[in-house]
Amino acid sequence: MRYLLAVILLVPVAAQTKTPDLQGIWQAMNTAHVNLEDHIAVLDMPAGRSVIVDPPNGKIPYTAAAAQKQKENFKNRAKADPLNQCYIPGVPRVMYLPFPIQIVQTPKYVLMASEFAHTLRTIYMNGTQHPDVSLFWIGDSRGHWEGQTLVVDVGNHLPDTWFDRSGNFHSDALHIVERITRTEPDILTYQATLEDPQVFTRPWTIRMLLYRHKEPNFKLLEYECNVYLEDSEKESK
Amino acid sequence: MKKRSAVNLLVASVTAAALMTFAPIPGSGQDKQKGGKGGGRAPGGEQYGPYYAAPVTPGEPLGKTPDGQPDMQGFWTPRFNQAIFEVQDHPTAQPGVAPGKGAIVDPADGRIPYKPEAAAKAKQLMTKQIYLEPEAHCYVSGVPHAAYQQFGYQIVQPTGYVLFLTEYAHTYRAVPVDGRPHISSNIKMFRGDSTGKWEGGTLVIDTTNQNGKTWFDMAGNFTTQAIHVVERITPVDSNQINYEAVVDDASIYTQPWKIAGQLARHPDKNMELMEFACVEGNQDLVHYTEGVGGKAQEKGALRP
Repeated sequence: MRYLLAVILLVPVAAQTKTPDLQGIWQAMNTAHVNLEDHIAVLDMPAGRSVIVDPPNGKIPYTAAAAQKQKENFKNRAKADPLNQCYIPGVPRVMYLPFPIQIVQTPKYVLMASEFAHTLRTIYMNGTQHPDVSLFWIGDSRGHWEGQTLVVDVGNHLPDTWFDRSGNFHSDALHIVERITRTEPDILTYQATLEDPQVFTRPWTIRMLLYRHKEPNFKLLEYECNVYLEDSEKESK
Repeated sequence: MKKRSAVNLLVASVTAAALMTFAPIPGSGQDKQKGGKGGGRAPGGEQYGPYYAAPVTPGEPLGKTPDGQPDMQGFWTPRFNQAIFEVQDHPTAQPGVAPGKGAIVDPADGRIPYKPEAAAKAKQLMTKQIYLEPEAHCYVSGVPHAAYQQFGYQIVQPTGYVLFLTEYAHTYRAVPVDGRPHISSNIKMFRGDSTGKWEGGTLVIDTTNQNGKTWFDMAGNFTTQAIHVVERITPVDSNQINYEAVVDDASIYTQPWKIAGQLARHPDKNMELMEFACVEGNQDLVHYTEGVGGKAQEKGALRP
């Protein structure tokens, strides 16, 4: 009986200390790539509900000046959206683009490879810190496990990326903490808290689900955005 | 990092020899800022090749990954003579390409066994249409070019895969090693479709479905959609991997041909890949405009 009790107590502990397995090919099934906030449809941009869970009104807590800037971005989005120039999407946008993401793990790294323009995120799991000076399009990601959750600190953001096609934006003071949990065998719950005192009045949090691709032998293909852009510019001459 | 204007070796007014004096700092990402495709000397002054490649030193016996693959994980620098400039032996200088050895070991003359019309096309690209050079347009490299491309790469082996993470253009190549079949031949891609399996201590990767828009180098050696590549990657010890690839394309070659080279482990234990953003602020085509002529073509390729 004493032995049985030990087994009952130890099994859950053992299960918790095993590194969670997030590997697979995943994709968001929402319209966060169009607009993180509640939005009605316009041409080529389907409607969707806000993925912002905090603040409770589902809106990005912009400063007054930043709110104005976002409106201008929206108006100018055809030219101003960095993704329309095929630039690296940045975090968190790469996580909910309408393209699959493959996650692989080793003890030292969690890698996230998006089909969009072969974009790669390396999340260092070796306890190292962000580098001092460099800014990156995809930021710099350092992670660790908290129980069943992958917690990633993302810093070193270039200010040139947007969050979505609606001009929601940030500065180089952006700091993100992501929390990624495999809440069901084929579902990841993705949460990110964003702070940037130059643009937002308070931190805010998005949350959404990523679904596993279960098609047999599913694999990433490629979307070489800059090539198609170049071709379309040639065709329009 | 935003790409600094990579001084393009193909600028006719700048000799390749002058660029060879650049001294890139290996793996720091700074080599790109200081001269991109320029050659270099490793710290200590020894000339290793057209760009930094670590020397091969004896290593430890190979370990295994948790799923039993020979463990090749880490950062590697390719040693393929001057193949990044031209994959075949090129004894005479061309604009932007200094004379040197390529990486072809079969046929024995070190040259691509082109059919006559294909040889003429390659020469035309090299001498008249070099502004089409894929890297200048930030195209992702095909196979096997990705294996010997400048700046080296990281190999990661999660369960069931071998990933090659290239610093150039910050891309990845994910090869499943479960021997799965190729995808439909209707789908053509820059990287093609690679499927791998371990045969003893050798990783054999079969690649089809390439889109014919990539070159082997910066010297006009083009590909078609009929290209079929079989790579054989054999780790020797913890510091050395032997690499060879057989290239077949009956539409432009008279026989299959083979390249061979080595990968040397990068000596920096704390190495991290930097972000070589290529599309973002690419200036290479501007250099073509200034140095090579053919402005009408380039205007079409340039973004406003």
